[in-house]
Amino acid sequence: MPKHYRPAGKKKEGNAAKYITRTKAVKYLQISLAVFRKLCILKGVFPREPKKKVEGNHKTYYHMKDIAFLAHDPLIEKFREIKVHRKKVKKAMAKKNRDLADRLLNRPPTYKLDRLIIERYPSFVDALRDLDDCLTMVHLFAALPAIEGERVQVQRIHNCRRLSHEWQAYISRTNSLRKTFISVKGIYYQAEVQGQKITWLTPHALQQVLTDDVDFNVMLTFLEFYETLLGFVNFKLYHSINVNYPPILDPRLEALAAELYALSRYMSSGRLPGNPESNGLIEDKETENNKESSKTDESELRLAQLQHQLPANEPGALMHLVEESTADDTEEESVKECRTLFKDLKFYLSREVPRESLLFIIPAFGGTVSWEGEGSPFDETDQDITHQIVDRPTQSHVFLSRHYVQPQWIFDCVNILKVIPTDDYIVGRVPPPHISPFVDNDKEGHIPDYAVTLEGYKSAGQNQVMPLPGLGDEDLGNSIVEAKSEHNEFAKKKKELEMQEKKYHEELKMEIEGTTFSNLSNKKADSAADVADEDEAQAAIDQAEKDADDIAKSVVSRRKRGLIEAMQISNDRKKSKVELLKQRKKAAESSASAKAKRR
Amino acid sequence: EESDSSEDEVAPRNTVGNVPLQWYKDEEHIGYDISARKIKKRDREGRIDSFLSSKDNDDDWLKIWDDYNAEEVKITKEEAKIISRMMKGKTPHANVDPYPDYVDWFEYADKGHPLSNAPEPKRRFVPSKWEQKKVVKLVRAIRKGWIKFDKPKDEPNYYLLWGDDTDTADNKRQGLSYIPAPKPNLPGHEESYNPSVEYIPTQEEIDNYQLMYEEDRPKFIPRRFESLRSVPAYEKALREGFDRCLDLYLCPRTRKKRINIDPESLKPKLPSKKDLRPYPRTCYLEFKGHGGPVTSLSVEATGQWIASGSSDGTIRVWEVETGRCLKVFNVGADVHHISWNPSPERPILAAIVGRDLLLLNAEVGDEETQVRTKELLHVGEPTPEDDGDKKPAVRWVNNDKFDGITLIHHRAASTVEWHSKGDYFTTVVPTGESRAVLLHQLSKKHSHHPFRKLPGLPVAAVFHPTQKMFFVATKKFVQVYDLQKAEVVKKLESGLREISSISIHPGG
Repeated sequence: MPKHYRPAGKKKEGNAAKYITRTKAVKYLQISLAVFRKLCILKGVFPREPKKKVEGNHKTYYHMKDIAFLAHDPLIEKFREIKVHRKKVKKAMAKKNRDLADRLLNRPPTYKLDRLIIERYPSFVDALRDLDDCLTMVHLFAALPAIEGERVQVQRIHNCRRLSHEWQAYISRTNSLRKTFISVKGIYYQAEVQGQKITWLTPHALQQVLTDDVDFNVMLTFLEFYETLLGFVNFKLYHSINVNYPPILDPRLEALAAELYALSRYMSSGRLPGNPESNGLIEDKETENNKESSKTDESELRLAQLQHQLPANEPGALMHLVEESTADDTEEESVKECRTLFKDLKFYLSREVPRESLLFIIPAFGGTVSWEGEGSPFDETDQDITHQIVDRPTQSHVFLSRHYVQPQWIFDCVNILKVIPTDDYIVGRVPPPHISPFVDNDKEGHIPDYAVTLEGYKSAGQNQVMPLPGLGDEDLGNSIVEAKSEHNEFAKKKKELEMQEKKYHEELKMEIEGTTFSNLSNKKADSAADVADEDEAQAAIDQAEKDADDIAKSVVSRRKRGLIEAMQISNDRKKSKVELLKQRKKAAESSASAKAKRR
Repeated sequence: EESDSSEDEVAPRNTVGNVPLQWYKDEEHIGYDISARKIKKRDREGRIDSFLSSKDNDDDWLKIWDDYNAEEVKITKEEAKIISRMMKGKTPHANVDPYPDYVDWFEYADKGHPLSNAPEPKRRFVPSKWEQKKVVKLVRAIRKGWIKFDKPKDEPNYYLLWGDDTDTADNKRQGLSYIPAPKPNLPGHEESYNPSVEYIPTQEEIDNYQLMYEEDRPKFIPRRFESLRSVPAYEKALREGFDRCLDLYLCPRTRKKRINIDPESLKPKLPSKKDLRPYPRTCYLEFKGHGGPVTSLSVEATGQWIASGSSDGTIRVWEVETGRCLKVFNVGADVHHISWNPSPERPILAAIVGRDLLLLNAEVGDEETQVRTKELLHVGEPTPEDDGDKKPAVRWVNNDKFDGITLIHHRAASTVEWHSKGDYFTTVVPTGESRAVLLHQLSKKHSHHPFRKLPGLPVAAVFHPTQKMFFVATKKFVQVYDLQKAEVVKKLESGLREISSISIHPGG
């Protein structure tokens, strides 16, 4: 009798009943594979790994409950309707019944995904937790060429652009951006919304090529879900800061591709005009706040200070300020820090720097920014500009009152939350290495030099003592390195001490015995042999350690031993990586010094 | 100059036909005339000449050089006109109209009769019944709202989907447990557009990547750009997005516990050697004398003597206290195993020498025991070499050299063990098959093999010190026998890879 024999009439049990292969699932649902795929993507159903793969090792298994979950979804019916509708249109066209075809095309069956979103993400935090992929995808599609006749509809791309700008405007507005990183793949951002760290990647603002090795059907299905999700998330976020959604933008600015600025303007003026009920409520609150704040002199002072920064004719500017000043008391320290990083700085962007990215980042950290081009808030000739961001070999006309820095300066400042000296980032220079803020340097085992320097700037700022850059970072670097290597050093020192002690004792003994010099010299001749002995002794100690290790390993169970070995392999790999880095660094340094010498 | 019509064709002077002129490139002539005389090449007039002539005569532009006949031809005014018309894309001759008006072959006007004389049918005058039915159907459908003409109104797409976030039952996900997809890896220093120098592989290393297996090859090779403006678009952006999509909906997800700890902490902590003290650390005595590796050692029951067997072919008996070598038996073959008789009255050594067992008188103890031992170690009548059809498992033969007994085994024996009383002993012959474990009685000089069937090759066999039990260890199992009944009592499974020896606590 075969092992898995099941008598006729007996139900399946265990893994055979719980899991179903993909082919069977498709048959069970009576849909095509494409529709199944679409359903799985939209519903968030993924294959699972059964303990025992009854049908074979190379198949994909879905949980039966997941499949039942799909089977009961109204979307299946909707997809059938759409299929039927397509057939009807085709038939009408074939029969040259233009009238019917037009009528049908006018009202195609549609479906909505809001139900799916609430089903997949019952609470808002769940949605935020899964937002990484969504944002990356939407930003990627926002960067694709919006050309008619390509595989992606122009309208979808515009929608992606809009959604991504709305998201960025919110992040910028609430100062919740935390980290940024320019990579070869694009620019990474990390924001913190409601305690959730959300990281996303935006491609560089350059022409992307639509390659043939991707299946756009799959990607567009994902995008469909992500667009809806991000729309609802944006709505909720905008609602939470009392701004109407969807925002109505200044068409002039929109035409100039300055949507982000338009959005920020909208937000700073945006109340909830269409919602009198909630508006009233908020106003009530605001008046209360106003009363409270009026008591404190400080907030009033700030009010006066900030007043001139905003155009006076903007509606609701005053209210917005009041809100801001009161919010300050309650908000966290970190948010405050972010808000005030570029507080009194005024930036101007040259036309060759990535404008969208910087228009997003600088306001997120409290800076004022303008750019070269139409619709910008202020001109290049503005005397208050403190920093001009340029990315060109030389700058012809220079205003003495401002720093000319490369864009990387902004990103590095943001990552350590300190305004660092601009010397290294001056126009025409090769900027210092750009360090990833996402790496845990201690865990990695290797710290790039510039990371140490940056750390130096940071802690220097905290201590309120500004050391000379060269001196400061060296000290700091040493201290860190020392701390790291202290452990090893300690062991070595101990051994050395022991040796010295031994030597001392020997000498004492010799004295007691009264060895003459000649004897001593004889002994000295043996000392070479002694050294060899010492080496041997060291080898013996190592061997003993290794033996002890082997014994310990042989005691544990086989499974655990495997685990230990795997861990050791991974540790070794890591170590060798660090070793390689150090080696390369050494080579680079030696070549650099050789060059310097030649000069 | 060529023309299609044959009327105005003037036969060319040159008769070579339609051949490439470059065939005559190096010749002085360009062909032959009708009377087969060579036509000489004439030089074309120079540029200056032609310019002068064009200044002199007005109709100079009508002249054309004919390469074929090597002469200058003057075209007529009419021909020039034709050429200019053709160049404009018109017909060559002015009086040809390419698109004349269509003239019908039949004139319908004022003919009086149609082509067919049939009367107009009735259906031309009566409204169609079927059309009416269709219209009624449509009207009905429109009235009932089945057919709608206007576009559906756009409803607001977004609304407040999530209310207040309280932990109620509604806020819990239904169904199976959700396994969130792992987040994509965050970028390290090497992904920077401007990484530190140490992250950039040398050209040599990059070349080496090509030799690696494809799955080992690094997916991303760091590059350094001097400025942000020189960073190009990432060509794999779409591909990586797509791969992530595939991972999200095609990869089976399971929860896996990942322990991120030091591998050392998994190992048990071994006691340090200091804690295990006291244990012998200094060498007290050395028994020197053997010329080869010592293979076996046995201590006498009284503890006064030890015997050692070596592969140099000697058995030595030592005094424990002093390290003095009492006796040397030069047995002449490798000694595999040696064992003292546990009874103090019988100072007998059993040793596996070569492939056989040798019983020796160790010649220790008082005279009385010596005499008794000598008596014991004498076989009255040696077992015959061949009794009947089968070779006996063991033959007892006197050994005259050492005044002992040799037990010649049918195959090579490996170990020997005494019973605690000192009369019985057992030898193990690993390759002996059904006669692998042998029991011997010293007093009766008798051997037998009670255990016919063993699960595997026997490795060792021992007696229980107090009870009538017998243990046989094969590579995987330990069989426990009752000696009286000669049957298996228990079978113990060791779970080890291989048993090499077995020992029983002296208390049982």
